[in-house]
Parts: sequence; structure tokens; C-alpha cells
Amino acid sequence: MSLAEIPTAAPQDPRAWLWVATLVYASGFGIGIFFARKGKGIPGMGFLGFVLVGFAIQTRGLYFRGMDTHACPLGNGMEQLQFIAWSFVVTYLLIRFIFKLHLLGLFTTGLATALCAVSLLASGLDTHYWQDPAYNRLFNSPWIELHAAVAVFSYGIFALLAMVAIMYLVQHQALRRKETSPFLRYLPSIQQLEQSAEKLLLMGVLFLTFSVVVGAIHFSRDPAGVTPAKLWVTIGVWVAYLAMFFLHRTGRLYAKRFSQISIAAFAFALVSMVTVNKGIKDTSDPGKKAPAQHE
Amino acid sequence: MSRNLDALFVQGVSHHRTPLAVREKFALDQDGAKSLLLDLHNFPGMQECMVLNTCNRLEIYGLADTPEVANGVSNYFCERNQIDPGLFNRHAYKQSNMDVLKHVIEVSSGLDSQMVGETDIFKQMKEAYDYARNAGTTGMVLNRMFERSFHAAKKARSHTAISKGQISIGNVTVNLAERIFGKLQGSRVLLVGSGEVAEQTAKALYSRGVEDITVTSRTYENALQVAKSFGGAVIDLADFHKHLFHFDIILCSTSSPDIQIQGSEIQNALQKRRGKPMFLVDVAMPRDVAPEVEQLDNAFVYNLDDISRMANENLEQRKSEIAHARQILARQAWWLWLELRRRSVLPPGHNH
Repeated sequence: MSLAEIPTAAPQDPRAWLWVATLVYASGFGIGIFFARKGKGIPGMGFLGFVLVGFAIQTRGLYFRGMDTHACPLGNGMEQLQFIAWSFVVTYLLIRFIFKLHLLGLFTTGLATALCAVSLLASGLDTHYWQDPAYNRLFNSPWIELHAAVAVFSYGIFALLAMVAIMYLVQHQALRRKETSPFLRYLPSIQQLEQSAEKLLLMGVLFLTFSVVVGAIHFSRDPAGVTPAKLWVTIGVWVAYLAMFFLHRTGRLYAKRFSQISIAAFAFALVSMVTVNKGIKDTSDPGKKAPAQHE
Repeated sequence: MSRNLDALFVQGVSHHRTPLAVREKFALDQDGAKSLLLDLHNFPGMQECMVLNTCNRLEIYGLADTPEVANGVSNYFCERNQIDPGLFNRHAYKQSNMDVLKHVIEVSSGLDSQMVGETDIFKQMKEAYDYARNAGTTGMVLNRMFERSFHAAKKARSHTAISKGQISIGNVTVNLAERIFGKLQGSRVLLVGSGEVAEQTAKALYSRGVEDITVTSRTYENALQVAKSFGGAVIDLADFHKHLFHFDIILCSTSSPDIQIQGSEIQNALQKRRGKPMFLVDVAMPRDVAPEVEQLDNAFVYNLDDISRMANENLEQRKSEIAHARQILARQAWWLWLELRRRSVLPPGHNH
């Protein structure tokens, strides 16, 4: 599916819906950047409208893909990236009233656009695994389905954390360089951003811990269903975020370094997820053709 | 005594050509400036003189017997204050005759200021002139020159909008503090030095909700007076280093020639603050905060040059007003020059 194919796409083609959602996010981002650069406040409700419409369309697209796969759509790289983008847009919509961070919506649409566009443009990410004759449902246990959905949701929160960290670094760098602009005055203070990042880290760690516990229950019942690579990467990501949380709480990791590590940790989590899935796919028994599972 | 306008001169250093680190080497405290004025008045060949000493400039205005005396003055200044003459000559400006008139009028109107259009310089210049006149170091030419320049400055201000939209040190400080801490209600402020700039900046912070303002100063009475106006506390100048970690915003404006806050002290304070940033505003001349503090990751240090540059960010919008003000001032300078020329050929008994 390319941009040119959108108008002719079938109404129930998930990729067409996901492309439209990407364009809506991109439009919101573009308009937000325009207002921010002019030093004008971004019209709140209008901007929220873009996020809500994009989110609704993306949800519809993921729903159609779920109908195809008869499961939660997490079976290939495209679906996982889409699910992460969907998760952090949900997180943004839920927390925007609590954190009240200026420009958070702008950065959310920016990252959502980037993740959605990469997931749709990267060839080879969207394998049609469910069309394989040997395909059974991706998640044959409700435990593992819960584990995967919660884990990917926590990744969405970590994506939001990485975005808040980027906002922190932008403001921090501008303060160090003694720069000023209307955009920087709208950007939240570094202290607000760091406090928000800490809360997001806590939320993400709680969800990921829950997911790991659920995964451990499944693992105790079916150890052969989890490859060592997946097991170690899952534990690695979990321990990394847990360590970050405790180091930050004890005042040993903060400010610029905390933000840099938040971004690096998310990049690591993202790469490891794709790598693990690729590894599983390559090494899986052709007879079984088990689709890639998250985590 | 003849009055040769060719021997009317101004020389000095200012923010235009001299970076902060070099200006610090030329900086004088108020007593030092007064003593320089009296010494210059006794300099051979000097008829009239005035010294203007602010955080952004040190200028010597004079009327001598001959134009050559001005060179002797700069050598004398360097020798007296143990300054390398090469350094002074690299950074100093020297003007004479009509250019002095243009210069003095632009300075008093705030057009030559680091924060273009500011009004503090007018007050500082008036104080310096009053002191010189009372000390008897000025005469007919400098008196006329300064009085007319004050008149011209008022006219430029009232006929143009050069100060409109001009941002003060206080406003810039508040904006920066909000970019670091967000809402300022819970922020704790320490004023190191209780000068006018510090007080004005504290007022701006107070108006944005800062409730906890502590003052430390060499003079306890001054500190107490400033602290009272904000309902704040006073701490001893000798003790404040131990309490640095309590404060989010530290505003330094002492006239001390020594560094007041060392890098190691801020490093220790940051460690105790467990990741909370510190914002230091140093409007002192010479600086109160050691330069190495700028290297610390979570400490944000802004000095006089930084704040002034930010305050001038809306300069573009005021450019036409500034050009208009310059036209008015140039006309005033020309009339003043004609007047002084006329008076300079008259015998001294014709002074008004």
C-alpha cells in the first residue's frame, strides 16, 4: 500500500485506514508547528480534534487488522509499531488533564506520525502471517495475549516518556545556549518535564512489571513456548527501566542524563522487540510457522 | 583660560567593544570612581572632567588645554589602575569635539545602552554629573553639555517610543525562571547584595508569586530593609554559602571585587538538591559567580551580557523608533555644538 493507493483502497483495508490516520496526525503536527513557530498558542480544542480523529481512524484500522488475524494485531513489526503509537496516543489522551504540559500534544502527533509512517513505509515489516495455511491464532492462551497487550501498552508509555525526554533536552539545550524564542516560552519548564517523566516512568514500570508477571505465569506453565532470546530481552528491558526508576528516585540519575537514557532505553526496547521477532521467525520450525509474538 | 572644543574628549570602555571578562579588569567601585575624578582634575592640562562608572561602561569626559592631553589621560589611567595600556587601547574608544556631544546625548538617552532604551543610565549619568559639579571638576562646557544632553534625552523619550516594549532585567529573569521551574510560587530566592537592580528583579519575581525571598549583603541594614519589603529573611554574608542548596534562584549584585560563589560550592549544593536545578543571575560587575559554574550540568548561569541580549530581542520592532530618536538627538547635538562654539570664543565672564 502506498499513498497513491489510498483512494482506491477497499473500505475495510486496514492499511488504508492507518494511512489516513497517519495523515491526520501529520496535519495536526504541521499546523501545531506553524502556530508554535509564530509564537501563537496552539488552539487547544482544534488540536485535540486532530488527535481524536487520528486516534479513532487508527483504532478502526487496527480493528480491521484484528478481524483479519482473529487476534490482537501484534504479529508483525508494522502491527507492533502501530500498537505502540496507538498506546501512547491513548496515554496522552488520558494524562493530558493531569500533567497539563504545553506542546505535549504537538510532540505526540509528531512521534505518532513518525512511528506510523515508518511502520507503513518499511517494506517487509507487514508480513501476512495470518494467510499462512499453518496459521493458528497468534495467541492461543489468554494469558499470553494479556501479557503482550499490556507489554506493548507499557511501550507506549515509554514512547511518551522518550518524547517528554526530547522536550526536556530541547529546553535544556536552549537554556544552556541562552537561546530564546516564542516556541521555547511555550515549551514546559525542565522541572515540570522531569517530574512528568518520573510519573511516566513509574506508570510504564508498573504496566511492564504486570506484563512480566503474567508472562512468568505463562512461562511456568509452558517453558518451551518462550525462546531464550525473548526471555532475556524481556528481562533486560524490564530491569533497565526498573534500574532507571530507582536511580532517579534516589537522586543518582537526573536531568540531562536521565533524559538521554530514557530515549536510549526506548530505542533499545524498540530495536530489541523487532530483533527478537525477526530471530524467532528465522529460527522457527517451518512446519509450525508460529508467528512472531511480542516480547 | 581658553576653551578649545578640539580638546573636548571622551574615552573609555563599554559593552560595545569590550567583553564582560575584560570589562571586569577596568571596573571601579563607586569610591574608586570618585577618587579617579579628583585625581584627574589635578592632572596637568585638564580644565574640566567627569567620570561615568556603571556596570556596562567606564568613561572619562574632559576638556583639556590641548587635544594631546587626552593621550596623557589614558596613560595615567592605566598606570594608576595597573592596567596593561595595550589592553586598554585595544578595547577603548576615544572621541573628540562634536563626536563627544553626539556620544553623550546618545548615552544619556539610553540609545547607547546594552538594553536599548533603558532609563537607568539617565539616572546614573545625572548622579555622576551632580557629584562632579559639586566637587567642582566641571565648568561651563561640561555643565552645558550634560544639562543639554539630559534635556535632549527627555525630548527623545517623549517624542518617540524607544522604550516601548523594552524588557527589563526583572522580566527576562522571570521568563527564564519559568522556563526552568514552571510556576514560581514554591521557588526560594536568595539575593546576594541588595542593590537597586537586585531589588527590582526581586520585585518582578515577587509579583509572579515568589514568596520566599532571603537577602544577604555586606550592610546588614540594607539587607534588612530589602528583606522587609518582601516579608523575607536576612542571612549573614559570611554564612550564606552553607545555605546555597536551599535556594532555586540566586541573584548576585554585589560591588565586591572578589568572586562570591565558587564552582565547588554550587556543585555541593546541586548534590544536596538531588537533581533540582539552580538558576543564578549575576548582574554584578565584576562578576560574583565563578565562570566554572557555567560548566555544571544542572546550573543555569546568566550574566549581565546574556540578560541584556535577551532583553533586546524585540529590538527589530523598535528600529524605526530608534532611527527617529537618533535624528532628534543629532539635531540637538548640532545645536549644542553651535552654542558651545559661540560660548568658547567669548571670555569666561559670560558663563551662565
